[in-house]
Amino acid sequence: MLPYYSGRRQMLQVTACGFGALAANSLLAGSQSPAAADLAPTLHHPPRAKRIIFLFMQGGVSQVDSFDYKPLLADRDGEKLTFDDSRQLAKTGQATQHRLMRSPWKFRRYGESGRWASELFPNMAEHIDEMCMLHGMHTEGVAHGPATLFLHCGATNFIRPSFGSWALYGLGSENQNLPGFVSIAPSVGNGGARNYGSAFLPPQVQGTALGNANGGPLSIDSLTRAGLGDRDQSEQFALLQKLNQCQLQRRGPHDVELEAALESHELAWRMQGVAPEVLDFSTETAHTQNMYGLNNPKTKRYGERCLLARRLCEAGVRFIQVNYGDNSANPAWDQHSNLPKHADHAQAVDQPIAALMQDLKQRGLLEDTIIWWGSEFGRTPYAQNNGTGRDHNPRGFTVWLAGGGFQPGRSHGATDEFGFQGVEGRVHMHDLHATLLHQLGLDHKRLTFEHAGRNFRLTDVHGRVVQDVLS
Amino acid sequence: MRAHLKILIASWTFLTGATLPGGIAVAQSGDPTSAAGHAAKVNFFESKIRPILVEHCMECHAADTEASGGLLLDSRDGWQAGGDSGSAITVGKSSDSLLMQAIRYDDPYLQMPPEGALPASVIRDFEKWIDDGATDPREATGTETQPPSSMSVEDAQQHWAYQPLPESSETTGSKGSRIDELLNRQLAESGLTAVPATNHDALVRRLTFDLTGLPPHGDDRDKNVSYDETVERLLDSPGFGEHFARKWMDVARYAESITLRGFILPEAWRYRDYLVTAFAEDRPFDQMIREQVAGDLLPHDSVDQHQTQSVATGFLTLGNTNLEKQDKDQLEMDYIDEQLEVIGRAFLAQTIGCARCHDHKFDPIPTSDYYALAGIMSSTVALKHSNVSKWVERPLPIPEDEAARFDAIASQLAATERKLTAAQKNSNTKLVSGKRSISVADLAGVVVDSRDAALVGQWVESTSVGRFVGSSYLHDRATGQGEKSATFEPPSLTPGDYIVRMAYTPGANRASNALVGVFSADGESKLRINQRKKPSQEDTWISLGTFRFEQDGQAFVLVSNEAANGHVIADAVQFLPVASLADGLPSEDAAENANEPSAEQIAEAKLQREIKSLQAEKAELEAELGKRPRYMTLIENEPPQDIAIHIRGDVHHLGEVVPRGVLTAIGETPAIAAQSSGRRELADWLSSADNPLTARVYANRVWSWLMGRGLVASVNNFGTTGSSPTHPELLDWLASELIRSGWSTKHLVRTIVQSEAYRRRCLSPEDQQRDIDPDNKLYWCGQTRRLSAEQIRDAMLAISGELDRTQGGSLIRPGTRSDYGYQHQSTRRSLYQPVFRNSLPEMFEAFDFADPSVSVGNRSQSTVATQALVLMNHPWVVERATAAADHFRSQSNLSDDETLIEALYQECFYRSPTPEEIATCRAFLHRHGDPKDDESMELLVHAMFASLDFRYLE
Repeated sequence: MLPYYSGRRQMLQVTACGFGALAANSLLAGSQSPAAADLAPTLHHPPRAKRIIFLFMQGGVSQVDSFDYKPLLADRDGEKLTFDDSRQLAKTGQATQHRLMRSPWKFRRYGESGRWASELFPNMAEHIDEMCMLHGMHTEGVAHGPATLFLHCGATNFIRPSFGSWALYGLGSENQNLPGFVSIAPSVGNGGARNYGSAFLPPQVQGTALGNANGGPLSIDSLTRAGLGDRDQSEQFALLQKLNQCQLQRRGPHDVELEAALESHELAWRMQGVAPEVLDFSTETAHTQNMYGLNNPKTKRYGERCLLARRLCEAGVRFIQVNYGDNSANPAWDQHSNLPKHADHAQAVDQPIAALMQDLKQRGLLEDTIIWWGSEFGRTPYAQNNGTGRDHNPRGFTVWLAGGGFQPGRSHGATDEFGFQGVEGRVHMHDLHATLLHQLGLDHKRLTFEHAGRNFRLTDVHGRVVQDVLS
Repeated sequence: MRAHLKILIASWTFLTGATLPGGIAVAQSGDPTSAAGHAAKVNFFESKIRPILVEHCMECHAADTEASGGLLLDSRDGWQAGGDSGSAITVGKSSDSLLMQAIRYDDPYLQMPPEGALPASVIRDFEKWIDDGATDPREATGTETQPPSSMSVEDAQQHWAYQPLPESSETTGSKGSRIDELLNRQLAESGLTAVPATNHDALVRRLTFDLTGLPPHGDDRDKNVSYDETVERLLDSPGFGEHFARKWMDVARYAESITLRGFILPEAWRYRDYLVTAFAEDRPFDQMIREQVAGDLLPHDSVDQHQTQSVATGFLTLGNTNLEKQDKDQLEMDYIDEQLEVIGRAFLAQTIGCARCHDHKFDPIPTSDYYALAGIMSSTVALKHSNVSKWVERPLPIPEDEAARFDAIASQLAATERKLTAAQKNSNTKLVSGKRSISVADLAGVVVDSRDAALVGQWVESTSVGRFVGSSYLHDRATGQGEKSATFEPPSLTPGDYIVRMAYTPGANRASNALVGVFSADGESKLRINQRKKPSQEDTWISLGTFRFEQDGQAFVLVSNEAANGHVIADAVQFLPVASLADGLPSEDAAENANEPSAEQIAEAKLQREIKSLQAEKAELEAELGKRPRYMTLIENEPPQDIAIHIRGDVHHLGEVVPRGVLTAIGETPAIAAQSSGRRELADWLSSADNPLTARVYANRVWSWLMGRGLVASVNNFGTTGSSPTHPELLDWLASELIRSGWSTKHLVRTIVQSEAYRRRCLSPEDQQRDIDPDNKLYWCGQTRRLSAEQIRDAMLAISGELDRTQGGSLIRPGTRSDYGYQHQSTRRSLYQPVFRNSLPEMFEAFDFADPSVSVGNRSQSTVATQALVLMNHPWVVERATAAADHFRSQSNLSDDETLIEALYQECFYRSPTPEEIATCRAFLHRHGDPKDDESMELLVHAMFASLDFRYLE
C-alpha cells in the first residue's frame, strides 16, 4: 500500500490535517504546495519510464496481416484444419474445422533488425528497430465487451479500476494544471468510461476524456465558459472569491474541508487558463502538422490525437490513451466479413503513429515514455465461417512496445506456424500489465488497494514481469 | 505408449504399488538389487526433470510462492499431495497424469507452462520420468504456507456483529434523550463538553435537506413553527419518500441501463417507484427486505399488493453484468455472484463475494456457504441466453378485466397472423409482375445482389429458374460442401432495425439445409433454410428475422454450403427498415402496370392489398399488446437444484455439491424443503429480528444518512475487517428500537433528529476539544456536511423556480435504444433522472454520485478542480443561474437592492446576508451602472451557486 493515498477512501474524507492539500493536489498534483512533498508517492524501485502512451487499436488488429509473418498461411491457403476456436470453445467446448486464409498484404523485412512486417503499416515499419514485439500475447474474453475491459482493467467485469488509474494512483501526477490520466477520443461502447474509470480507487485518479470517438472537438468538458467575455469572467471570479471569504469568516477560519474547496476553485481557474494552450495546435509548425498527417483528410483525425498525445506527454500527463475506434459493438478493426477494410484503418493510423515515434525520439522523450500499441485481441488465421473475414482471437496476437526501457528491435515470443496460438514466450495480458507497471517503478504485487474487505490489485493473483524484453 | 510400458515392465520392477493398464500389480520398489537402477533414475531426474521444473514451474508452484492452483512442484510431497484439481502425477502412468495433460497443451483449459509449450523432447522426458516411477529425491522444505481457513463459528460469535442483540427495555421519556444519554456518557469520560444546538435557520436548512433532499422552500420557511412540528411536516412530505428511496438506491446499485452496449433497462423505474412509495408509507423495513428478495413468492390479497411485491424483486436484477460473455456457465455464476454480493452488502454488511474462490479469510463464511446461497439463486432463471444474454421481463400483475382485454388482443393477433400466413401462401406475385427477374432498383430498402456478394470458392451464375433479383443468381453446383460462401454486405446501412430477407429460386435439387448467418449488432444468428420450398414472401423472399444494425457495426449475411444436401442458391439479400415496412410491399398499382390484367392478376392484386392491410393490422395489435406493463424480475426454476463448489471460483472445476442454505454462522439456519428454491427462506432469515446483523446494519445506515457517518463507519462491512462501532450500546439500542417500532424507518429518523446530538452547532476546528477528538467521533459538535450531486441540482432548480415536483414514472425518452450520449433534459427531481451507467449527467460524475454498478454505503467525498469547473462553466448551471435571475427579476417586491439581496441569500443559503456581503453584492450589481441593463444579476446568482455556503451545510 502506498502512502500517497494512505490506501483508504475514508481517509479522503475530511480529517483534521492534510486533506486540503491532498484532495486538491491529487488531480492537479504539483510541487508548489508545501504539503505535496510529504505526499510524494513512493516507488517500489527505480523507474525506467515516467509515462505511457497507449495507442489503442479498438476491434482487434490481425496479427497475421501486420507484424506476425506466417508464410505457411499463403502456402496452405484454403486448407481446412481443426482449431480450438475460442468462440466455439466458449459456447460448445469443442474444436472446429476452419479454412486457412492467406493475408492479402505482402510482407517484407524492415530496418537493421530485419524484422518482417506487412505493407499495411509502411511508415510504422520504418521504425521497427525501435519496437519491441510481443508475438505471444494472449488474453481473456472472446467478445469485445469482456476483452476490452480485460485489456483496460485486468478483469472482464465492470467494477475494477483501469490501468491508467492504477498507474496514476501509484505515481501521482507530474503536472499541476492538467489531469494525470487522459483518454483521447474514447469510445462509449464496450465498457465505455469503465475503461478509464477509477472504480473503487480515489476519484482523483479517474481518467479524463478528451473528446469522443465520434470525432468531435478534442476538449475537456466544462473547461471553459462559453459566451462570456474575459473581463466579466474575471470579475465574476473575483466576486466568488469575496463571497467565499465572507462565508469562511462567518463559519470561523481553518475549516480544512472548506479551504480545500476554495483551493479547488483557484486551481480550476488556473487550469482554465493553461489547459486550452496545451490543446491548441496553432503553435506547431506546418512541418510538424504535416508530419502527423493533419493536411490529409484520411490521417487528420488520428494525427490530431497523436499530436495532442505528444503535447500532453510534454506537459507531464502520466497515462495518455490515444484511441482509434468507434461506438459500435463491432469497432473499427473488427473485420469479420471484409478483411481488406483493414487497409483503411491502417492508413488512418500509420503515418500519425510513425510521426509520434519520430517526434518523441527527436525530443528525447522516448527515453522515459513507453509507447504501447495494441488491441483487445488479435484475429484468427482462418476465415470466419468460411467467409471473407477473420474472427476474434484472444489466444495469440501481437503487441509492440517502444521506449521506456524496452529492448529496441527485440522480438519476443511466437505463435504457432499459422499464427493462431502463442506457443513460445507467451505473455498474458496480466503479464503485460505487470511489466508496464514494473517499468514505471511499481511492483504489481504491492500496488494494492483495500476494498470490499480485501486488497485488490490490477493483476488479481496473476501476472509476471517479462524480464526478457527489458533493456 | 502401451508398448513402451510393457518393455519397462519386462526389464525391471520399479513402481510403488501402482496398477498398470491390464490390472498388473507391480511389486514395491526398494529392492536393494536395483540400487543402480535407482541411481540412474535419480540421475535422470536431476539432469532432465529438475532443471525444467526450476526454470518453468517454480515461479508459481513453490512453497514460497502463491502455489498457483494449490499445487507445489518443489518437492515430491508437493506433487504427491496434488493441487485443487487433484493429484498431478499418477506414478507410472503418464497418460493419466494431469501434469502431462497440462504440458501437452491439449486441453484448452489446462496449459502449462503459461509462457508456451515445452519442446517435444522435454515432454517425452516427462513421460518417461513418470512412467519410470517419477523418482524425485526432493523433500518438502516444511515452509509450506497453510491454506487460509475461515473463522470458526465459535470465534465468529465473539465478533461483536455476530452476537445476538442484547435485551433492552423500552425507554421512558423522549427517545431522542436516550441517544444523548448514551453519547454523553462517553463524552464525559473523555472530558469533552457537547456544544449547544445551532441556530434555528441553520438547523431547519440541515433538517430539510436531510429529510427531503431539498432546500427549505415555501411553507418550510415559516420561521414560527416549532422544531418538532417541522420534523413531522417533513416526514409527511413527498420529499421524504423520494430522498430516502435515493439513499437506498445507492445501496441497491440502482440503474436503468447496463454498461455493455448501453442497453436500456426500460422497466427498472418501477423498482425505484416501489421504494419511493414504500419509504413514504413507512412500510416496515423487514417487509421491504422480504419483498425485495422474494416478493414474487409471497402471498397477496389484492392485485395492488401482488404488483408491489413483484416489482420489488427488481432489486435482484439490476446488476451490471457482462451479458456478452460467451461462456454462459461463467456468466450465470457472475450474475449470481453479483446478486449475492448486493444481498450481502445491503442487508448484512457482509462481503460474501470473498468466499467465491476460497473460504473467507477474515469472516466466518466458508466457500460451502457461498455455494449454498448460490444454489438458491441458481434455482431461479434470471437470464435468457443468446450471444448477448438478456434479463427477464414479465407482464405486470394487473386487474382481471385489464388482463382479459390484453388476452383478447393477443388472441386477435394470433388470428391475424394466421390469416396473413394463409394469404401469403396463396399469393403469387409472378402473376402481378409476370417477370422472371426483379430489378434491384424496384425494390425497397437496401438490396445486395449476388453480383455484389463477396465470394469464397466457385459459384456459378444462373438464370435457369425464375424469379430472381437482378440479372442472375448464384449456385454452388452442389459441390465442395463447406468450402464456399457468399457474403452479402451493404456498402452502408443507416443504423436501426431492419427486416432482413433473402431471395432464392426454389427447386427440387436444392439444399433443404442451406446455412445462412446474419451478423448484426447483436452478434451472429444462424439459420438453416429449406431451398426446396417456395419462398414464403412474394414467391421470392424468405424473412431471416428482424435485426439491429449500428453505425459502423457489422451488417452482413453470409450464405454457406457447409454440409448442404443439395444446390445452395444465393440470389440477393434485402435490408428493409422496420420504420418504413409498408413501402417494401408491392404497390397497389402493380397490377395496373401490367398490360392487360387477367382475372387472376386482378385477384392477386386484391390479395396483395389484403396482405398489406393484415400486416398493418398485425403491427397495430402488436403495438397495443406492447402497452401491457412489464417489470423486471426472475423466475423460479423447476425443480430447484443444489450446486457444486466451484474450486477457486472456476466454473469448469467442480467440487462437492452443497445443499442450498444460508450463512451457517449467523442466526438460526432455516430448513429448505426439497421443492423450494430457498429464496423465501432466505428472505425470512434475512429479515428476522433474530438475525444479529440485519437490524444493526439498517439502524446504522439510517444513523449515517442523518449524522454523516455511521456508528460503524464501514456501513457496508460489519465483518472483522470493517470498523468497530464507536458506540456499541447505542447501536444495539437503535437496532432494538427499530425492531420494537415494527421496523419503522420514520420512527428511527424521528428519534435521531430529536436528539441534541443531531442539532449541534458545527464548531470551528480551532476549538481546543479538537485536540482530544479531532474527528468528532464522539459527536461533541455538529459535522459540516456537503450536499450531494442530486441535492445541488435539485436546489438550483428549486431556486430558479423550475423544479417539477411530479412523482414517479419513467423519464427515459421513448425510442431510446442505448444510453450512449443521452441528453438529460428534465426538470424533475434528480432521483427521477434515468441512472445511465454510460452517461450520467456531468454534474453527477463530478460530485461523487454513487457508482451505480456496486452497492455503495458511503459515497466518496472528493474535492477536485473539476467540481469547480462544472459549477463555473457547465452550460446547465449557467442556464439555471439565468433562469433564477429572471425569476427574481419578475418579482415586483424585490425592486431595491437590499430586499433583492436578502431574498437571494434566503433562497440560496436560508439566512440573511451580513453587511459586508450586502456591500459586496451591491457593488457587483452596479459595476456597470444599472444591473437591469447587463448580466450582473445572472453572474451574481451564478457565483452564489458556486460558493461554499451553497453546498456545505453548517
